[in-house]
Amino acid sequence: MKTKSLLLVAVDFLIMFAGLGIIMLNQYPKIDYTPIPWALGAAGLGIFIQLFLIKGRFNDDIWIFPMVLFFSSIGIIMLARLKPILCVPQLRWLIIGMLVMVAVLYFSRQLKDMMQYQYILGVCTLIVLCLSLIFGVEIGGSKNWLVLGPFSVQPSEFGKILLVLFLAAFLSDHKDMLKEARKRFLFLDLPPLRFIAPLLVIWGIAILMFVVQRDLGSALLFFCMAVFMTYMGTGSKSYVFIAMCFICLGAAVSYAFFSHVQVRFNIWLDPWADAVGQAYQVVQSLFAFAAGGVWGTGFTHGHPGLIPEVHTDFIFSAIGEEFGLLGCTVIMMVYVLMFYRGIMVAMGCKKELHTLVAAGFSIALFTQAFIIIAGVTKFLPLTGITLPFISYGGSSMVSGYIMIGLLLSLSKKERMNGA
Amino acid sequence: MGHNDIKKYILHCSIFMMVCFLVLFGYIVYLQVIEAPSLLANPLNIRGNEALNVVRGSILDINGKELATSEKPGERSYPYGAVMAPVTGYLGQEIGSDGTEAVSGTDLTGQSRQMQMLGPIGQALQSGRGNNVKLTIDADIQELAYDALGNNKGAVVVLDANTGAIIAMVSKPAVDPSNVEANWKELTAREDSPLLNRATQGLYPPGSTIKVLIADAALDEKVTDLNETFKCTGKLQIGKEYIGESHGAVHGDHVTLEDAVTESCNVTFGTLAMRMHGKGLEEAFDRFGFNTPIESEFHESKCHLPQFLKLGDGDTAQVGIGQGETLVTPMRMAMLASAYVNKGTVMVPYLVEEVTSPVGLVIRKASPTKWRDVTSAQRAGIISGFMENVVKNGTGGAAAVSGVRVTGKTGTAENSAGADHGWFIGTAELPKRKIAFCIIVENSGGGGTVAAPIASQIITAMRDR
Repeated sequence: MKTKSLLLVAVDFLIMFAGLGIIMLNQYPKIDYTPIPWALGAAGLGIFIQLFLIKGRFNDDIWIFPMVLFFSSIGIIMLARLKPILCVPQLRWLIIGMLVMVAVLYFSRQLKDMMQYQYILGVCTLIVLCLSLIFGVEIGGSKNWLVLGPFSVQPSEFGKILLVLFLAAFLSDHKDMLKEARKRFLFLDLPPLRFIAPLLVIWGIAILMFVVQRDLGSALLFFCMAVFMTYMGTGSKSYVFIAMCFICLGAAVSYAFFSHVQVRFNIWLDPWADAVGQAYQVVQSLFAFAAGGVWGTGFTHGHPGLIPEVHTDFIFSAIGEEFGLLGCTVIMMVYVLMFYRGIMVAMGCKKELHTLVAAGFSIALFTQAFIIIAGVTKFLPLTGITLPFISYGGSSMVSGYIMIGLLLSLSKKERMNGA
Repeated sequence: MGHNDIKKYILHCSIFMMVCFLVLFGYIVYLQVIEAPSLLANPLNIRGNEALNVVRGSILDINGKELATSEKPGERSYPYGAVMAPVTGYLGQEIGSDGTEAVSGTDLTGQSRQMQMLGPIGQALQSGRGNNVKLTIDADIQELAYDALGNNKGAVVVLDANTGAIIAMVSKPAVDPSNVEANWKELTAREDSPLLNRATQGLYPPGSTIKVLIADAALDEKVTDLNETFKCTGKLQIGKEYIGESHGAVHGDHVTLEDAVTESCNVTFGTLAMRMHGKGLEEAFDRFGFNTPIESEFHESKCHLPQFLKLGDGDTAQVGIGQGETLVTPMRMAMLASAYVNKGTVMVPYLVEEVTSPVGLVIRKASPTKWRDVTSAQRAGIISGFMENVVKNGTGGAAAVSGVRVTGKTGTAENSAGADHGWFIGTAELPKRKIAFCIIVENSGGGGTVAAPIASQIITAMRDR
């Protein structure tokens, strides 16, 4: 049974090579072979890691990694098709991501110990988020990039990890306080301010990101994470209610004062009012889904290039066009399965802290997928964010693999004597 | 507060997110299956024209004359230029497309609906050349009508009354479709809107041509009969306002309904409209389908009707003579005329006769369909008789053609923008087919003098073929 998971990894890379093969055939007679060595390297590394997960006596979850590789393979072939220039960089990021994941697994015990230092984590979270608030550079409409020499990093991608870790540590440590020491105010149960203060800070930062950086996607994700984590840690509906009031107020105020928020919202309400102007991207995305229909136009046979920025935020539209409803269904199903496995890992953890961390990462990835898929289909207002493991982006790829690495290390069955 | 509680709350959150995801999935199914056809048909969707490696199919007229052709991918020529512009529409990478180029875009690039259903398998069957689209348009009649409009602005629609086939659809001014993309900015800014297909998208007050509908409605509502005689003093006083006759005519003491149509008597029709009140008029316009959009192969402007129930007497009387807020398209007026020679039935107007593959295989053929029954066969006969009298003895004499039963109704629409628009709507029973037509010449004065002679030219040409 365990070794059969290797078959899944093989299928993932089969998809990658089949896709790359089709693209190279299309290029005939001027075939660009450069992605091949990188792809072979990624495949070798992937199979090696899966073997390591199977053979290692850790009882790790062996199903999550093949699913992540599935997303990565789809991402690679979509990039090779949409932006051939970015195919090799993405393969490189994939390999770096997998190596980082191996490192995380290797140092898993030390990392698990570090998870308990809540205040250090809290300070780190603040620093990382403030870094981009203060030094952020604008790339592609969002001021959430840090430029470090030749690299551009999106700190919010890593802030996401720290946020989950910090909230998990804070909540598992203070849950009794948060639960017991409370005052009743109207129908709300309120804890003392100093316990809720960190949460307020996180929410506040989310709003700031919303307004200052124009990074609506990350802001929404951060906010959802804060609410989910708080609820999972305390089970208090009052927090959820306060948070909802907070976000509604924040949204209303930013709608009233900031034009970019208004624009996003109006596009969502009626994209046809300015279909060739500001709503162009969303409208083209809708056309892409319509063109795909049930079966899709077939790989390389659609026109997803009509959507601006299709290789990052709108990659799901390209999948919807070329692989149709079938492709969308498969992708969404695998996200659900990955989420399910993640929650199962959380359920198996012996420590509350670990349970919260595992559940936090699972829900973070799942919510991120939900937010961007809902955005590009106009189900919700569009908030730019990457589709985990599929969209182009180094920061997003590496941070995703860090999360998976931590999740896998938490899936190790701890021996009862604590050795 | 134990570990198990946390797990319980985690499950709550998980179930919540799963439900959100499921709803989202349901929405995507809706988007890609149910909403997809209307999104694909959206005029802003240029995907249908994006098959870059395909030689676009030709657009042909009913006799096989080429209206638009391509020799190689990305190139397109329009032999008839501006004459066929409202029919073929235009095409451009940046500007999207309009007309047949837009509506039949998937056919012209060879992406048949059946092949789209097959998805990727269909791609394997995609040929290098698109399908040819044969229209119901007769290029000779189209050219004749275009020339007949001279330097005037206006529109001409000619329909086959029995099938709904559009034989000619002229709009002036028009631009050669091959020049549209290069001059896009200037053309869209021009005040005379040369890219607007006036035949289906131009909105005009119907003037006296609407009287054929009012006469039908008055008989239907039983507010008059064929024997009643009206008294026309040249002026209908309504409170402080009045409706007059054009050129100060006085039609006398014994005006029957037939005389009123023949002489286009405003007093009689103002009176009839007031007798029917807003409600009767609203029902009549509804019955003739002025509120119902047409699902067909052209883009149509929605007709503008007043809020009948809120109209005062004066405005109600104005409806009866086609003035006031009522705005209609020439296509709708041609359809109205067609009902009277087709036993009270209006057919769905259509443009695409058949779609054939590059090797000549017929992929799809039009099947004329009934749009709606707007009046009874018997009443259609009566009104048609009135309209015949308009041409024989009345204001539409200029439309008469020997050897053909021609019916018609003239109209002169006052408008705020300048001189009156001249209308002529009607039908002709040719040896082989019955046609209905509508001609509007903007700012030309009376319909009987400018528009009716164009009808005569068209009918003569069609009789002699």
